[in-house]
Amino acid sequence: MPTPTLDAIDLSDREFWGAPPDQRHAVFDLLRRESPFAFFAEPVIPYIEPGAGYHAVTRYADVEAISCRPALFASGSGAVSIADMPPDLNEFYGSLISMDDPRHGKIRRIVAKAFTPRVLEKLVGNVQAVADDVVALARQKAGGGDGSIDVVADLAAPIPLRVICDMMGIPDDDRAMVLKQSNVILSGGDPELIEDEEYAVTAFLQAGEALARLMTRLAAERRSRPADDLTTALVTTEVDGERLTSQEIASFFILLLVAGNETTRNAISQGVLALSEHPAERDRWAADPGLTRTAVEEIVRWTSPITWMRRTATQDVELSGRSFPAGSKFLLFYGAANRDPAVFADPHRLDLARDPNPHVGFGSRGPHFCLGAHLARREIGVAFRAFAEQLPDLEVSGEPARLQSSFVNGLKRLPARLTGPR
Amino acid sequence: MTRVVVDRERCMSSGICEMEAPEVFELDDDGVLQVRQPADVSQVATAVRACPTGALALVD
Repeated sequence: MPTPTLDAIDLSDREFWGAPPDQRHAVFDLLRRESPFAFFAEPVIPYIEPGAGYHAVTRYADVEAISCRPALFASGSGAVSIADMPPDLNEFYGSLISMDDPRHGKIRRIVAKAFTPRVLEKLVGNVQAVADDVVALARQKAGGGDGSIDVVADLAAPIPLRVICDMMGIPDDDRAMVLKQSNVILSGGDPELIEDEEYAVTAFLQAGEALARLMTRLAAERRSRPADDLTTALVTTEVDGERLTSQEIASFFILLLVAGNETTRNAISQGVLALSEHPAERDRWAADPGLTRTAVEEIVRWTSPITWMRRTATQDVELSGRSFPAGSKFLLFYGAANRDPAVFADPHRLDLARDPNPHVGFGSRGPHFCLGAHLARREIGVAFRAFAEQLPDLEVSGEPARLQSSFVNGLKRLPARLTGPR
Repeated sequence: MTRVVVDRERCMSSGICEMEAPEVFELDDDGVLQVRQPADVSQVATAVRACPTGALALVD
């Protein structure tokens, strides 16, 4: 592997994001050490005016310092895109993520009411059943063929998709569409998912519209006929006499689908890959279910499924002794912070018993901390225990196809085999 | 005696504390955090640290 040099690094280059993780981590190690606020020009997106550029924040302490001061480092001008998007688009696709107080606090409280651990407990009591079923289908598929499966399509994607769709009460017939459109929204423009880059923005908008139409239909149905699902809770919940508008429900729905599917899917697929590369750790977890609590945290630290979120300085600010003018953009590189040796001993070692493990895989301290962290933890834990117990013969059999996206640390495919009992 | 206090302005009802220490913390039906003061505050130290918005504190 060539040693990276500072002036050769371009985080806006799509090629960089398809490179193997070792190479990317070597680059982030260098940035963290030598240039912890490295400045980059913005990537070129057809039809979108590029801004002045952004700072790549790679040190844990700086990621935390920015996250916990939302008044100085705002999300409202866009947290999930590098370029400034029109405000209505921002709010539609980003929902809570691209919102600041007081609006953020208000909506988050409404949503949180429908998303408490107790409500989740009731709604997702079936995570185990979903995982068992998915695992059985994968076994069946392997048995019907030459033993090969795709970890992404056959294991990692269906578990969170079915859990989220069950929670929301999405009819079976609509689920394939939901998976397809949320892939487009989080493709990062990957050429395989969006065939023509010229039309990336159009594809993105159409995907959003399709999901919004589904949610509008569903919300109307639940208003007239309430059911025992999250959609019903969202259309009926009030905080200070205020309910979510149809638009807010639709964009929150997109957030849940996209954030709830892709993140957990990639934690699972990349986790399977990590365990296959670290067989001693895999065996250790398989032998000891008690390891699950810390193992799940380590999988999230290791994979850091969301690579960054953006913040924008609302005024002239100082960080670690450096000054930045108002309007400066910062990308918080969670995967880089999660390998910061100032916080994590031996950060490039996968240690399923790591404790404490104050990773920022769900975001750092602050109001934007992942709303679904408890659900994700549950899904990942249940999935990996199901694999350990029911698919002990699972073997990764080929190279992963990596998503070329700076935003999502994703796998498109991961070939594997179920070798059968030996 | 040491007690757990909640900063209501900061609490986002994330439920992380409830996952850590369900016998002490519970989000009620309105999403408002309810606290049952524990006999031994050492059992909630992790939950207090884990709060993503820093809304929990131990005070004497």
